[in-house]
Amino acid sequence: MGLIPFLVFIALFLGVPVCGIVLSAFRVADVNKPGNYVPSLANFAASFRGASWDAMQNSLQISVIAALVGGIMGLALAQAIVTTRSRKLTAVVTVLTSVLANSGGVPLAFSFIAAVGNAGIITELLSLTDLGFTLYSSGGLILMYQYFLIPTMVMVVLPTLAGLRVEWKEAAASVGATSWQFWKKIGLPIATPAILSGFVLLFGASFATHASAAALIGGGGVPLISLRIDSGLAGGNLAGQENVAMALGVNMIVVALVVLLIYMPLQKRSLKWFK
Amino acid sequence: MVQVSRETRAARGLRVVAPRLGWALIILMALYITVPMLCALVFSIYVPTAGFTFEPYLESVRDPGFPGALSLTLLITVLTVVALLALMVPTMVYLHLRAPRWRPIIEIVCTIPLVVPSIALAAGLVTVLRSMAGFGRGSVPAQISQLLQNPDLPVVLVGSYIVLTLPFVFRSLDAGLRTIDLRTLVESAHSLGASGATVLRRVILPNIKGPVIFCAFFCIALCLGEYTVAVTLGYRTLPVWLTQIAGSNFRASISMSLLINALTWALLIAMTVLAGRAAPARTLALKGHES
Repeated sequence: MGLIPFLVFIALFLGVPVCGIVLSAFRVADVNKPGNYVPSLANFAASFRGASWDAMQNSLQISVIAALVGGIMGLALAQAIVTTRSRKLTAVVTVLTSVLANSGGVPLAFSFIAAVGNAGIITELLSLTDLGFTLYSSGGLILMYQYFLIPTMVMVVLPTLAGLRVEWKEAAASVGATSWQFWKKIGLPIATPAILSGFVLLFGASFATHASAAALIGGGGVPLISLRIDSGLAGGNLAGQENVAMALGVNMIVVALVVLLIYMPLQKRSLKWFK
Repeated sequence: MVQVSRETRAARGLRVVAPRLGWALIILMALYITVPMLCALVFSIYVPTAGFTFEPYLESVRDPGFPGALSLTLLITVLTVVALLALMVPTMVYLHLRAPRWRPIIEIVCTIPLVVPSIALAAGLVTVLRSMAGFGRGSVPAQISQLLQNPDLPVVLVGSYIVLTLPFVFRSLDAGLRTIDLRTLVESAHSLGASGATVLRRVILPNIKGPVIFCAFFCIALCLGEYTVAVTLGYRTLPVWLTQIAGSNFRASISMSLLINALTWALLIAMTVLAGRAAPARTLALKGHES
């Protein structure tokens, strides 16, 4: 079988770590026999309590708000780009969005620190600190995430919005439909799967974000589930924190799985009218 | 009268708001995208006490940690690209030629990395490596754990970076192989006496050059910028090193981070333009690169 090298590789580098995280999440150190472990749900119980639960809630909240902001901005922007009817602009935007949607990480956090961080250029120019703005907060993270979220939304909805034909609206108008009626009965229903799939994808992307948040916030400041896993791993296994971190990791995988299971069929349906 | 108003309506096309408002939004977004990068650029070339200078760039290069971080990152990047293509090109060709039944299963397997956030993958690797090391010095699991984590050749990073690229690589190579008549190409090459390796290298590869370059560029961009797995496993790659020197010399770290970012963007732009030329068909929009 020519697939064996691939399957072995996947088993080693994807199967083993995923099994590892799941197994560790479902066991705790045995108090009677040091060094031994017993199966338990205690890690998950702990992941829904105290600081871990705060981090989970805050991550969810930030992701929902970031997805809403990015989704609405991205949708409006995509519509604005489509209606300029400029081919050049659309071509440039198509390339730029796929680049920006895949950018991020440490350089993104650093640029935002240079612009709107404590001693950032824009911060000083507009005295943002006096206005009560700080980048090192949930709001700051949401602002920074837009850098890859808005392009992601544009990338997802642009093809669908560009696919809406003016002729469809003219046809609707010729049978007496108003602009409002066209959008309500034809335009929006066709675009809805793409728009929803965009929102879901944005939520998943912000929820899983680690690198740029870690480079910006580091250990303290804003509780986030991805950063909480960091500190759980760094603390060693003295208080069973490593296993709680694994439970948090499993929680993240479950959220991402739900996101993908909603996203995939919506994405498929959004292509229905354009085959 | 009614007729006229209908015509104006149609002429307005699919516009929802006034064109000026649309342009205002586009300009606002352009500012949002460019201003942070320009601020970073200003930070890296203008020091209030010294005026315009390239000193931050020189300082970043002179940092004692830089050569090690650069060589580690380059080594990982080269190894990952080579290993990725060596693993995935033959696998995908085999899949299309001999095992089309397996395609849905392999597709799902290659999609799994999308539901495993990189911090979760890193956590999984940490727990496995730690428990293998826990078998005690000299034991087989501990030795494997050490081998995978060899500081000079972190196999574990190469492996996990390949995993992170799989969702894109599968889609790209799959689409590329679909557009060519693989079976006919291979059969005619064989009938002319070409061996399996020759067919792969001289017949198939040239025909899927676009997708292969796409995969390579995407992989390079990922390897240059990846932070989460590297920092969790304790490797000092360029991005990890950047965050470590940021505290003491932010201007130096931001100048190097700008260079890396520029290189990454150049790779991603080249990749997208190439892919657009090779396959104008809509591909499933996925966001998989680390944020």
